Amino acid sequence: MKRDEGMKLLENGKRLDGRALDEIRDVKIEVGILKRAAGSAYLEWGNNKVLAGVYYPREMHPKFMRDPTKAVLRCTYNMAPFSVDDRKRPGPDRRSQEISKILSEALSSAVIIEDYPDAGIDVSVEILQADAGTRCAGLTAASVAIADAGIPMKDLVSSCAAGKIDGEIAVDLMKEEDNYGESDVPLAILPRKKEVVLLQMDGKLSREEFKRAYKLAFDGAMKVYEIQKAALLSSMNSVKGDGE
Amino acid sequence: MKLEEHLRGDYIRNLVKEGKRLDNRGFDEYRELEIEPGYVGEKACGSAFVKLGDTKVLAGISMDVGEPYADSPGEGVLTTSTELRPIASPYFESGPPRQESIELARIVDRGIRESGAIPTEKLAIDDEKVWVVFIDIHVLDNCGNLIDASGIASIAALLDAKMPRFEDDAIIRGEWDGKLPIESTPIPCTVAKISDQLLLDPTQDEEYAMGARLTVATTDTINAMQKGGVGTLTEKDIDDAIELAFSRGSDIRKIVEG
Amino acid sequence: MIDVKDRELVFPGRILGDGGGRGGDSFIDGGHIVSSVDGMVRVKGNRVDVIPFRGGYAPKESDVVIGIILQVLRGSWLVDINSFSKAYMRGEEATRDALNSDLSRYFRVGDRISAKISEVNELKSSQLIRPWRLEDGIIIEVNPKKIPRVVGKKRSMLNMIREKTGCRIVVGQNGRIWLKGNNLETAIKAIRKIEREAQSRGLTNRVGEFLSNELQSR
Repeated sequence: MKRDEGMKLLENGKRLDGRALDEIRDVKIEVGILKRAAGSAYLEWGNNKVLAGVYYPREMHPKFMRDPTKAVLRCTYNMAPFSVDDRKRPGPDRRSQEISKILSEALSSAVIIEDYPDAGIDVSVEILQADAGTRCAGLTAASVAIADAGIPMKDLVSSCAAGKIDGEIAVDLMKEEDNYGESDVPLAILPRKKEVVLLQMDGKLSREEFKRAYKLAFDGAMKVYEIQKAALLSSMNSVKGDGE
Repeated sequence: MKLEEHLRGDYIRNLVKEGKRLDNRGFDEYRELEIEPGYVGEKACGSAFVKLGDTKVLAGISMDVGEPYADSPGEGVLTTSTELRPIASPYFESGPPRQESIELARIVDRGIRESGAIPTEKLAIDDEKVWVVFIDIHVLDNCGNLIDASGIASIAALLDAKMPRFEDDAIIRGEWDGKLPIESTPIPCTVAKISDQLLLDPTQDEEYAMGARLTVATTDTINAMQKGGVGTLTEKDIDDAIELAFSRGSDIRKIVEG
Repeated sequence: MIDVKDRELVFPGRILGDGGGRGGDSFIDGGHIVSSVDGMVRVKGNRVDVIPFRGGYAPKESDVVIGIILQVLRGSWLVDINSFSKAYMRGEEATRDALNSDLSRYFRVGDRISAKISEVNELKSSQLIRPWRLEDGIIIEVNPKKIPRVVGKKRSMLNMIREKTGCRIVVGQNGRIWLKGNNLETAIKAIRKIEREAQSRGLTNRVGEFLSNELQSR
């Protein structure tokens, strides 16, 4: 996308919203806010607003997709028509189909799908308001929703992106930076073993720049991990009382 | 469920533990690559037939005149589509491979788009009219690593492509006006992680046995990356994959550029 | 070594210790015991158990469950047990000559039963025995992980609800509860209260008071 002449994304090392290059936006997570879903999470990440929900494993349909060795986890990423400035046509476009696929694969790498032979696990990610970084926000929310449902996982999935703006590598790009930035690297990890379950990149990065972007995104995901843990613990605390 | 996954998956995983591949290749070795540019030379602006081992992919370039994107006035448009033809695999007709084929097209598209291989600003005709470049990828025989085969076929077809003649506000079919300008040769390199090892250019059987997969498309920089598959990668895996993508990518680039 | 304190809250991926005994809802990875769910740990000596907060029902041998007949097959029934996997029940549970009988004479599609799981195979599909028809009444569904609290120690909670309300109640380990009787709404309210407050202390007394108050005000 072309930007107006003279528009700067960086001024004295600060970004448009005053953040430093290695600073992520505010992330807030609420656990278990839907009644019907087995597990759910609402997440605000800067100006992103995301809702994730999951149902218990159930019989897999269509039948030919069943796998007798494990469950098939399907994540559907959907952007609400009103989530962006220009109304998005409802339904899956090519971008959301691709994101659905990589989110499904990332979550399947964390959920203990072997516990549910022949079953299907449906995860929904609804983007209610979009401001860049929605796939990371959606994945982060989805893993909290799965934990909320009590579906066993090897680890939570924590996610964050990094990119390049005005020649500098920066973490967690917001909309304007994403539009006019030069590169984007979304990442998702299993924090306990520091393993990668989602990685994409587009743009132009040297190997050194990629290394820097990877580190910033990784550190950002670790910060998100702390927020996920705190949200889960506080949701459990609110129902726990003092135990018996 | 794909039965082949259960027929050979364990065998291949064990073989990899012993440091071997079913076709005796080294882990960092590509299959034989053959490229035939201009395969459908009469009608298409450009084309290339690629054989990567037994995998066969045909990419064609068509061009049309259309409107630029609202946010990119004065720039040509690139559109990449993939068709996983039923002839190429028993699974391409039974299941809904929509997500697979969309992902494939989008990875190839990003590698080419982000590398700046197509100088879109040179594809403007006037303020309202620009050239639209269509890359159509026809997968004809899926024996593994469709991403690399499709990416290589696409850039080879672009290098083969001619500009249609445009006169009096109309395209004159069958007449050409020089080559389509192409400014770099992005090459995707895909590794599959099997038994904690990275295998370059996986065959179909290896894809059934793999956990995670990583594609890195390069020119002199990294232009696109995509992790796929169910499984995890370490930071070292990613480093190694990038190293392989640059070193093997430059070998492949020589073959593509001829 | 166990790394967590008794009653500590844990989440998926939390390392619980480097060795020792463990129950379900945890796994071993790289020499560590790791929790796979949200829950509270109980530590006894060198053993750690995760008590999950939530979760669907996974069939277990000798559980009593409440099921709904889905299909009458030749010689057996297919039964829904509120799980991702199906349960089967042999015709012999109702008649000796199952293959030559019309099994719908005994249980029809939609009939509700309580039954015991005699076997769970590797695909988690289960075999039911000793069916008992549940006539009339109502079936509610609660979080299966809260069923132990609804039953209580030595069935204390369940017996109290039965006594105070006079309801007939059958509790399925699969989260389904069948109730029949006059004070049904009160019994359901009490069960919902247990589900909500499952983790808190002194619950039996509080539910007792709650039931007394509710029944008095009628």
